[in-house]
Amino acid sequence: MNVHQFLTSFSYGDAIGNEAMEIRDFLRSQRVASEIFTLHFHPRYAGQVRNYLEYDRFSAPGNTVIYHFSIGSPVTKRFLRLDDRKVIIYHNITPHHFFLDYHRILAKDCYRGRLELKSLAGQVDLALGDSEYNRRELQEAGFRATGVLPLVMDFSKFDQPVLPVFRRLFGDGRSNLLFIGRIIPNKKIEDVIRAFAAYQRHFDREARLFLVGEHRGFERYLSALQGLVAALGVRDVHFSGHVPLAEVVSYAKLAHLYLHLSEHEGFCAPVLECFHLGIPVVAFDAGAVAETMNGGGMLLSEKDPLRIAALCHEILTRPALKASLLAGQARALEKYRLRRTGGILLEHLRRLQP
Amino acid sequence: MERFIQAAADIDVDEIMAAIRGRIQDRKDAGLLKQSDIDEIAAMELQPLPDFQEIPHIYEPVLYPGFTENLAPPAALEEANQEQGLLKELMKRVRRLLAPWTRFMNRPMYLELKTNILDLQKKVPIVLQSSEYIRLLHNAMHNLIVEASKLKTEEEILKTRMRILEDKIEFLENRQRALEKNSPAP
Repeated sequence: MNVHQFLTSFSYGDAIGNEAMEIRDFLRSQRVASEIFTLHFHPRYAGQVRNYLEYDRFSAPGNTVIYHFSIGSPVTKRFLRLDDRKVIIYHNITPHHFFLDYHRILAKDCYRGRLELKSLAGQVDLALGDSEYNRRELQEAGFRATGVLPLVMDFSKFDQPVLPVFRRLFGDGRSNLLFIGRIIPNKKIEDVIRAFAAYQRHFDREARLFLVGEHRGFERYLSALQGLVAALGVRDVHFSGHVPLAEVVSYAKLAHLYLHLSEHEGFCAPVLECFHLGIPVVAFDAGAVAETMNGGGMLLSEKDPLRIAALCHEILTRPALKASLLAGQARALEKYRLRRTGGILLEHLRRLQP
Repeated sequence: MERFIQAAADIDVDEIMAAIRGRIQDRKDAGLLKQSDIDEIAAMELQPLPDFQEIPHIYEPVLYPGFTENLAPPAALEEANQEQGLLKELMKRVRRLLAPWTRFMNRPMYLELKTNILDLQKKVPIVLQSSEYIRLLHNAMHNLIVEASKLKTEEEILKTRMRILEDKIEFLENRQRALEKNSPAP
């Protein structure tokens, strides 16, 4: 059995790319031939992945091709024309309306992606979602054989010390609030800034906010956020941009609370990473966030900046509350530690065998 | 205040809600928190920079009159006659009989027409792309002129400020000299 993977884009530090790599390594360890084929890739992965048009040389009816589906692209057409057994892993597509004001091309690709998802229904042998929320979307789109393949969570990469420069800059005892994720409109960074503004104005004047994530392609959104920060008169808001993992870990380890107010998430890996790092999490209930949090952390059903600020203050000033939150988060994380994503994938693939 | 948080069963959410309510009320009572402050934060909207493609092109109507009108979709093909019943069957047979002769007579003309159409079709995107490119260049030039004008105005303002500062320095120097002259020797 040969199992190959198709991707639209293989970016550095991207959860989908990491998962594809983990799956490939796992399959190879099981003596299954496996390659990754992609349309775009980061230069550092040159030599590890192939162009998707090269797949003709590998194609055979006995093969299984897994397509990581997250956006509309020409790869879908190529995938549909294959004679191999077809599996998709659906990572969810952000509704296009979030990008209309900031990125026309991405808005178009997301819209097209939703249409392509419907066209894939009935043409693939198995459709997997990386959360139950995504699986339900697949079912609603008309896929018959569906399942869940949990996202590969490699927490060992966070086992590294805080960089000395970061400790010197931010490890001074002042409260640090954190958000990790791309600076894109569906993450609603403006709501995080509003809540932080209320927190800094009324509860802790010395607090800082770290917004850690890439903003490339969304410069207009970033400038609008910076305008909001200036208009609200908030101090100490740090936009880090795309930073290496060591710096992400440093920001996270120096943070005292993680605030996530995104309005669309297909899984939400940063929440689990903060669970692992022992940072209390406050998140808005949207998409798969509640499912991913698995009963840990604090889940919000509305976004009132002042009340969110007061809640953050409660968590940061009451050690007993913080301790019970962290205990709940540790319990919630057990589910993800025990999961053997590779084993689950193999079970799904065996179901496909004639 | 409605309950807006969910947490694990061992966390007393009602107690947290009461504490939040208490904190907010305390600050309001102490005059540290005004409703206008809260409203200001909640109502502050994001103001993104205008999208380049949304900037109206003031030269377009003059430089390219009727450009958008000329991009009308291709005319629909005429539909074939809708014969019905016996007539339809008869016409079909006649057409089938005459088909080889018609094809033989029309073939060279058809081929030439097809080649011409294909050539033209190849040129359409190039022409459209070039006109789009020229439009973009004009737009860029327009924006550069606007920016240059802004810079010129700023330069003028800065020059004026500099002149004012020079005058002030001169005045202060004169004042200093006058004070030194009038002050008694130590």
